[in-house]
Amino acid sequence: MAAKGNVPAAPGSVIVPYGHVVGNEKWRGSELARRLQGKTKLIFEDGLGLVDFHLSNRICVLYISEADLVAGDEFKRRLVRFRNASSLGGIVIVEKTPLSEQYFSAVQKLVVLQLGMVLLPVANQEEASQLITQIVREQSKDHTSNPFIRKQCSQLVEASMFRTVQQIPGVGKTKALLLLQQFGSIHQICNASVKELEPVVGQTVAQQIHTFFGS
Amino acid sequence: SDTALCVLVDSREISSGADVISSLKAVHGVKVQVCSLGSSDYVVSNRMAVERRFLSELLSSANRNKVTQRLQHLHSMFERVCVIVEKDRTKPGETSRFLQRTQHYDATLAALLQAGIRLLFSSCQEETALLLKELALVEQRKKAAICVPTEVQGHKQDMLWLSLSSAPTSPCSAPLSFHALPISQHLSCAVSPSDIAAGAQVSLQRAEETYRYLRYGFDVHMLPENLCAKGKSSSTTRS
Repeated sequence: MAAKGNVPAAPGSVIVPYGHVVGNEKWRGSELARRLQGKTKLIFEDGLGLVDFHLSNRICVLYISEADLVAGDEFKRRLVRFRNASSLGGIVIVEKTPLSEQYFSAVQKLVVLQLGMVLLPVANQEEASQLITQIVREQSKDHTSNPFIRKQCSQLVEASMFRTVQQIPGVGKTKALLLLQQFGSIHQICNASVKELEPVVGQTVAQQIHTFFGS
Repeated sequence: SDTALCVLVDSREISSGADVISSLKAVHGVKVQVCSLGSSDYVVSNRMAVERRFLSELLSSANRNKVTQRLQHLHSMFERVCVIVEKDRTKPGETSRFLQRTQHYDATLAALLQAGIRLLFSSCQEETALLLKELALVEQRKKAAICVPTEVQGHKQDMLWLSLSSAPTSPCSAPLSFHALPISQHLSCAVSPSDIAAGAQVSLQRAEETYRYLRYGFDVHMLPENLCAKGKSSSTTRS
């Protein structure tokens, strides 16, 4: 599926209705399109240029088939042209098959490390349809349901202090808690003398803590 | 560039990623600093942490909570997080395992993308090492490389621990701000935020965060209960 379109994707040029996928006309009748229909609302449009599918107003998919990989460097020019011309978030879906596996690491280097785009391998169009479906689903979800998104203020200072103190050799959860309760701050723990530490954590660990900070 | 690339490696990776480490050193000539990172497997720059995960771990929803918690924590500490999905090793005599792609896997990839976490795919430990080197190179070009004193010895190696385990008091602040100063200097009463900023080459704002963090008064009632040890300490939390 080498894209011949010359029109680069401009942001906002394609409006994707909520929960829809806008597909490049050339995908009509393909296995991927057939499998997407029913799972997402797929509509086709002409003139999408280098883009194969628009998943939202900001995110689009460029598909690289096994045949594209075997055929040579044309797909690379297409990716570079897209990257230079578009400010859309580009997800590159690449067919990684026993035949095209050998090209994968070079493609990954180009797409992720040089162009700064996202690369996701699939074995075939069926897997691609499942992956696209999940991306569309994730897009339409509320951000708060994403477990990986950084939650402001959810990181309490106490929690990280507790973790920090456990990094001292010989100190686990129980002793970390005792130390923090007894001394109040990391600064105080570090500056405590062996004598002050002993009643809290015992002789051996007190000595270890003291040596660790090497004061 | 004239400075050697440096990658920090968590000590647990010595057993689970021996080939990654030896490949980094021997093939790529990267300076490997093994330390107790705790939160992440690798750190390739002063803002990027890398987590190495087997494909099978992401395919199965059994590990969901473990993976989620770890990445959530990493994401709160580091400006940039990258996950390297590594193909599982086949044991000698075992024909290569066929792992069925799952909906859970696709959903996880989609969620990671949405959260801005980078993804790389690797077929073996040697390729993982190559990817780590490439990431460190890219970060070096962006002037975010790790500055570690050339020879760190004995317990001073562990000065890294504090920096890496101390979560920032606000998102996006530098967890690596300790690097250029030994812990004892950070902790001496005389040191001021501007000393930290100058010594560790971080912004004054970040130095102030570090300064405040070390002196922050611990309140046990603010500690989330799920973090405490089972049994006796959970009752302490409630008291």
